[in-house]
Order: sequence, then C-alpha cells, then structure tokens
Amino acid sequence: MDEPNSRVKVTEVGLKPPLIKAPLYAIQEMFNHKFLIRNLVVREVRGKYRNALLGYTWTVLEPALLAIVYFFLFYMLAGNPDKLYAMWVLIGIIIWGCFGKSLQAVVSSLTRNRNTIHLVYFPRIVFPMTSLMANIVITLMSCIVVFPIMFAFDLPLTIHALLIPASVFLAGFLAIGVGILLAPLNCIYQDVEHLVRFIVRAGFFVSPVMWTYEMALERGAFGEAAMYNPMLTPITLARHGLEGHATTLPPEIIIWTISFGCAMWLIGSIIFEKYERRAVKYL
Amino acid sequence: MKGTVIQLEGVTLHFPKLKTLTTILRNLFNKKESRFTALKEIDLAIKSGEVFGLIGKNGSGKSTILRVISGIYPPDDGTCKVAGNVSLLAGIGTGFSAHQTGIENALLYGSILGHNEEEMTRKLPEILEFSELGDFIYEPIRTYSAGMKARLGLAVASAIRPDILLIDEVLGVGDPQFREKSKKRILDLVAETGTVVIVSHSFGLMKDICDRVAVINKGELIMIGTPEEAIKAYYDITG
Repeated sequence: MDEPNSRVKVTEVGLKPPLIKAPLYAIQEMFNHKFLIRNLVVREVRGKYRNALLGYTWTVLEPALLAIVYFFLFYMLAGNPDKLYAMWVLIGIIIWGCFGKSLQAVVSSLTRNRNTIHLVYFPRIVFPMTSLMANIVITLMSCIVVFPIMFAFDLPLTIHALLIPASVFLAGFLAIGVGILLAPLNCIYQDVEHLVRFIVRAGFFVSPVMWTYEMALERGAFGEAAMYNPMLTPITLARHGLEGHATTLPPEIIIWTISFGCAMWLIGSIIFEKYERRAVKYL
Repeated sequence: MKGTVIQLEGVTLHFPKLKTLTTILRNLFNKKESRFTALKEIDLAIKSGEVFGLIGKNGSGKSTILRVISGIYPPDDGTCKVAGNVSLLAGIGTGFSAHQTGIENALLYGSILGHNEEEMTRKLPEILEFSELGDFIYEPIRTYSAGMKARLGLAVASAIRPDILLIDEVLGVGDPQFREKSKKRILDLVAETGTVVIVSHSFGLMKDICDRVAVINKGELIMIGTPEEAIKAYYDITG
C-alpha cells in the first residue's frame, strides 16, 4: 500500500500500544481528549439535576438529609454521641457517596454509552474517566456544605481543610481503579452492575461513615482489620480536615491506601485495555 | 493523489453470542455455534478519490465493514489499513443531551465526532446557519421536533472535512425541503472529500455518484463492479 500523500500517514486499524503502557496511555489520552471529556462531563452533571426546582442545591441537600436520618438512628441506638457526630456522618456520607457513585458510574460507563460506542471510535477509557469526573465535580459541590458547619460548630478553618478535596480525589482514584477492572465484564454480564450496587450498600457499613477508626480501635482485632479498608483513609482525612487539625491517622495506613489505589489503577487499566474491544461486541 | 487509501486483507470479524445460564444448560445437550461470523475474509482496496458503494440486504455486513474501517471493531483476522483520518457519518444526533441547548449540543456532538475546541469554534457559525434553527438554538433540545434535531445533527456531522468519509444511510431526514438540502449537502461533501465509502439502499443515488460498488451477502464479498453490474448481481442474489 503506497502513501498517497506525504502528509497522510498509513495506519493499521486496531493497533494499540503494548499493554504494559496502558496505565500511562490512559492518562495521556485524557489530555488528548480534553474538549470531549469536558463536554461529556457537563452533559452528565446537567443531566443529573435537570428540571429540578432546587437544581444543584440537591448536591448539598441529599447528604445533609441523609446525615440527619443517620444521626437520629445512632442517637436512638447509642444515645448521647459526641456533638460533632452528625458532622462526621455527613462528611462520611459525602466521601463514601463519591466512591460509591463513581464506582457504579464507572462500571456502567460502557453500557450506558453503547450508542456512542457504535457510532464513533475514540479511546474508550474516555467513558469511565468522564463518569468519574462528573461524580468528582458533584461531590466537590456537596463539600460546600462544610463551610456553614464549620461556622455553626465553631471549627477553625485551617490549611488542613484542604484534606477534604484531597480525600474526594483519593476516593475517586480508588473508585476508578476498581471500576475499570469491572467495566468490560459488565458489558458481557450486567450481573456485575447489580453486584456492585450491593457491594456499595454493604460497604457503607464496613467503612467509617457511621463510626470512626478511633472507635473501631477500641474494639480490638475487628478494629485492626478495619484499618485495612482502603476507604478508611479518605473518609478519615476528610473528617480531620473538617475538624481543622492535622490527621492522626498512622502514615503506614495512608501509604497502604495510596499503594492499593495505584495497584488497582495498574491492574484495572491493563485489564480494561486488554478486554474492552472484545467486551463492546456484546453491547 | 493516487494509490490505495483503504485496504482490507482477509478481514474476518466474529461476534460472540451471549451465554446465559439457560443457554449454557441447553448447549450441554445440543451443541451450537457460540459465535456469529459477521465478515468472512473480506478483501477490498479502495483508491484515493474514489466514491465506493456497498450494497446488500439488511444484516449482510455492510455497516460492519464501515465500522471496521473506522476502528470501532478491529478485525479478528486479517488487516485493515487506512491512510488519513476517517469519519463515519451514521446515526446522526447520537449523544444529544435533551436538557442542553442547541448550541451546547452542537459542541457536544462535534466533540464526540472528534473535533477539537478550536475547530468547533471556527465552524459554529456555519453549523448554525445550515441548521436553520434561528433562536431555537438557545432552547433546550427536548423542545425540538425530530426533524429539527436531525437538521442540527446533520449540520454538525457535515461540517467535518476528513480525508476519508464513510456514510451509512443518512439521507432522508426532515421535511422534503430539508431533505433536498441535506442530499445536496452530502453530495457536496462527497465531491469535496478525497475518498468516500457509502452504504445505501437508494440505488438511484448509488448509480449517480459511485465509481465502483461492491455487493455483500451474509458477510461475504460477492463481487465488485460498476454500479449497474453490482445492482444486477444484487437482484440475482435476492431474487
């Protein structure tokens, strides 16, 4: 096959960089498709709050209402909790929600976009990335709720408040690694989506949303084991940020969480690149 | 410009069949093929500047060939080589977001089709003019009629100027006046683009614009010839 014109490059359809490069390739593609991703994120965020009188206020309202419910529940069960307890639950719900919703959105990102996948080719890692970013944007909007809380409870606004957005990104990072691992499989068997929904509901209780790691450590072995739940780190960091002090979480736990996230990203992106093509044939 | 710009060599493509619990159990007793072969060893060489048609019955694999060329389904066997950037015109308006305005959707759809921000900003006035939507362009797209959506979609899709254009049955949207206009637009696009591969059931159009036409049946390439020869071969198969 001869080149028709020196400007035009002959490419073989379907050639991909070696799988080992997938973790970096995915990030590179994100920058190559900035405009597309931005438009898709806007579509997802707008779509969520369409035709709502209160619009984006729901990003704050939803976790706040949930926190009130859990506060009363806990108050009835345990009686007289710490006065900051409701705030812990609220920030826990926001961070856990970021992880849970991102994970579900990433897992279903290919199936939800089947029409676009049939129409045009661009690197399919764009779809899970878009789902993740939309959820991060929504969660960051929810986080605005912390300002009135800090004021009401007389909490100091310090540099440590930056732990809150940092933990949103950490929760999202954990979600995408696990999510892209499962997204291709979900194209074949949508059982995955149902299973993930269950895991997100169950995970809520084994993550420190309604309890804190300090409480867990008082329970001995169970508490020790709970420290290795990767979601413990982002939720706890956000809580400490809200309270306005440096985190007291042991550094090895933070390192463990970040390493877990990186490992999931490496495995997830390689599995995604290896199987997405076979998977989209089922759509 | 001379030479081959699209080359398919022995392209075979399979689609897996979904196994559910019931089909797995049934297959224990009654062995069935677990995959569907959509394309069987297709060899095609399309030259630069050519307008190439594909005809065949529904489900024969015409659209699948376009999807292989555009990279949606890379071949399982064989190779497909392409020189230059490719754009597939199909399913006009896929990805529209009902709650965003016409302009936002034009940008969204343009980016899905592979335009960058700078290109879209440059082409936006042309798109708005061609879509004839006037002030409706600032309204959410859910208020649009089907024809208006199609007009906006075609306006965006036809603003592209790729090296190779693939067209999959996109004619015949909107009211008669617009249909005329859209046909003309696509013909202009065909004339301006270096190489075009078109799938259509309107044989009149194929005769008018195609240099060569291939007949596809059940995933196999039956013949390639002039439009008249191909249409005759098509009727021989379908009877």
